[in-house]
Amino acid sequence: MKKILKKALLMTLFVGSLGFAQSSFDKFEDKEDVTTVIVNKKMFEMMGKVKVETKDAETQQYLNLLKKLDNLKVFTTSNNKMANEMKNTVSSYLKANPLEELMRVNNEGKNVKIYVKSGANENMVKELLMFIEGANIKEASTVILSLTGNFSLDEISMLTDKMKLPGADDLKKASKK
Amino acid sequence: MKNSSYFILFILLIWSCENKPSLQNYFVKNSESSNFVTVDVPNTIINTSKTKMSLTDKAALQSFEKMNILTYQTDLSKIENYEKEVAEVKTLLKDKTYQELMKIGSGASQAAVFFVGEEQNIDEFVFFASKKENGFAVVRVLGNNMNPTHVMNILQLVQKSEFDAKQLEPLRELLGNNSN
Repeated sequence: MKKILKKALLMTLFVGSLGFAQSSFDKFEDKEDVTTVIVNKKMFEMMGKVKVETKDAETQQYLNLLKKLDNLKVFTTSNNKMANEMKNTVSSYLKANPLEELMRVNNEGKNVKIYVKSGANENMVKELLMFIEGANIKEASTVILSLTGNFSLDEISMLTDKMKLPGADDLKKASKK
Repeated sequence: MKNSSYFILFILLIWSCENKPSLQNYFVKNSESSNFVTVDVPNTIINTSKTKMSLTDKAALQSFEKMNILTYQTDLSKIENYEKEVAEVKTLLKDKTYQELMKIGSGASQAAVFFVGEEQNIDEFVFFASKKENGFAVVRVLGNNMNPTHVMNILQLVQKSEFDAKQLEPLRELLGNNSN
């Protein structure tokens, strides 16, 4: 009995440390056909702490934004089986964690869906989930992008632009709405 | 009774010193084996004699001590060795002393950055990159009280100064392959 309790405790700790919001996508890490980009909170914190003597407003804005981010995870694949699995994972994730659909674009076979969880006010976002099918970016057709923190949508399109993440154009449209 | 408990404590102490697997031990263990290349790079690799340094640059440079580099070249006929070694390094890096900053990769090739210490007081950076066909590399950047600003300054210094690339010669082959 004690053992089970201990195990359960460990599991909760483990899951908790992964960051509850994104743990459902972590299974795509280390998969043969999936390309992963993960940036952890510590990284954003560190980058945000760099003292730059710059008068460039854009860089300053960029650094300010970094402080507001927690985790960034991007999974891309061109493998059909994996793509299906991603689709299923996203839809079951959305069932468990209802996010608000921000926009949906269907254009020339490209299918983009953006979901957000709003923060303190309408403009602030705690979590952003983007799912793209038929993207054709760097040979990847399916993309999951998950970003957590406490940021505004206007800021985030700048980040995706700078980091050359997939779906930057679509996000820009979303923030202008 | 008391004696025996001391004895056990003593054994535990020895055991924890000797057997605790660490990246350090891994470097030492493999420095002599074939397929592995280890290089120690002192901070003099950044030759600043000809560049003017500001006080902040100096402070940044002082925080950086040396780099330890270990590379492994895949022997395609023994791919299982590569897998074994990569698994070992990954297990070592799972230790909670190593805090993951970021990670990029797919199943066959990946790169990750870790750090040891606190954000404003970093003792060590660890870079780990692997690619099945080529091998893998672990780079430890060791220092004293490094902080993010120092890191940025050092990177700028490297660009400005004459970087003595000869010291990194053994890495070139691996890196060259990786960039393909």
